[in-house]
Amino acid sequence: MAAQTVTPVQPARRFLLPGSAHIAVIAVPIAIYLVALAGGTSLAVFFAVGSAVGFTLQRARLCFVSAFRDLFMLHQGRTLRGLLIGLAVGSIGFAMVMSTIVGDPSGGRTPEDAHILPLGIATVVGGLLFGLGMVLAGGCVSGSLYRMGEGYLGSWVAMAGVMGGLYAMNRTWNWWWDHTISTAPRIWLPTQLGYTGSLVLSFALFGLVYVGTLWWERKQAFVANVTIRRAQPAPPASIADDVRLALRGVFRREWTPVTGAIVLSMLNILLFVRYRPLGVVGEISRWANDLGASVGAPIGLLKGLDSLAGCAAAIAEGASWFTDGFMLNIGIVVGAFTAAVLAREFRLRVPRQPKRYVQSLGGGLIMGYGAGLGLGCTLGAFYSAIPSLALNGWVYGLAMAGGALIGTRIIRRLT
Amino acid sequence: MAESQTVPVLDVRGEICPYPMLRTNKELDDVHPGISALDVLTDHPPALSTIPPEAMKRGYGCEIDEVREGEWMIRLFKDE
Repeated sequence: MAAQTVTPVQPARRFLLPGSAHIAVIAVPIAIYLVALAGGTSLAVFFAVGSAVGFTLQRARLCFVSAFRDLFMLHQGRTLRGLLIGLAVGSIGFAMVMSTIVGDPSGGRTPEDAHILPLGIATVVGGLLFGLGMVLAGGCVSGSLYRMGEGYLGSWVAMAGVMGGLYAMNRTWNWWWDHTISTAPRIWLPTQLGYTGSLVLSFALFGLVYVGTLWWERKQAFVANVTIRRAQPAPPASIADDVRLALRGVFRREWTPVTGAIVLSMLNILLFVRYRPLGVVGEISRWANDLGASVGAPIGLLKGLDSLAGCAAAIAEGASWFTDGFMLNIGIVVGAFTAAVLAREFRLRVPRQPKRYVQSLGGGLIMGYGAGLGLGCTLGAFYSAIPSLALNGWVYGLAMAGGALIGTRIIRRLT
Repeated sequence: MAESQTVPVLDVRGEICPYPMLRTNKELDDVHPGISALDVLTDHPPALSTIPPEAMKRGYGCEIDEVREGEWMIRLFKDE
């Protein structure tokens, strides 16, 4: 093992905060927020939360794909550990919120907006497909949304694939509903264990996975303990410098996965307090259906949607384009765009190899079909489901990891 | 490090994870095994935290320069 020095290099001219031209970008979310406010409070709130989510995902580069893929490919568990901390925070917050809706969980009642979804074959198959597709496409659904805002052309292609996959899913939805989803049980842990018992079990599992990733990293000869240190500017000499340094920490320097995951969970809790947990897929599914209908290929009646929480429910949300879910998703793109410009990382990124477009589109298609089948993406069926203390969140996560493992094998061959 | 003009540049702009890292590894392992220095040009921020650890496993040190907005040069080199 030879040199292992990381020499920090950071041009001094970058010390100052974003110049005036960059700061002007915040006019974009503010303008949309004001327009949304005229349309209704919920539209504005969903846009604001979406923007904050997009901002957070961009700043922390919180990529659910890398959480799983890098574990298999590089023996790195840093991102996954960040997600586990975020899930722990989310679980406490969700338990608090849910206990105000259902005081006594042993009676068989469940909080209707929580992501407690049918658990069965569809969960496993959906998770597998989703995990495979997201690794192929290089981003999950929320990941593609925020990268769209950062200027990744491939993510726009992946999103088109996701819409295609969701459309294909909706055309086959009634078959899946009749054969498995309608009879699959919805298992909410507090029914048996109460809130405290469910949290204890969840935390035991978080701890187990956390330690498991550490063990897995040690299995490799070289433990990469690398932080790319950026040169520290001159020590602050005035209050103005202190402020500048603080702002820099938020807007310019990369957040850790733990910070990003905790902020994401806080936003999720806030949205749940006021409306419902985060989820982006239902809205994209609705776009796909509306587009299908506009070219003369409507989906028709989808069975059972009114009995489902989470992403599936959003499909039936409204006839207008400008729904809460629309504002949330657009918010993620705009928030990530704003964050990227302020961080001076925005750039149009154009894949040069034609096969990458095929990969993004194909990965998107598989991921979209899986998201429809599994009733959500990494956000709705995983990041909002595990804190809902619903067993389907864990099963979906495990299946997704399996799909990601298969995907990792495949992408190695596509270098 | 003085002879920076002669250092080959691997341009992986447009590529997203895991390809900037995989292509760098391929360059170090197969194309130019044992090369003393390599510059990797990327516009994918996450690559800044995947390429260095992989290069360090192979005995390379690392510096990162911001070439311009949203574009970085990762300089890998072997200490003599």
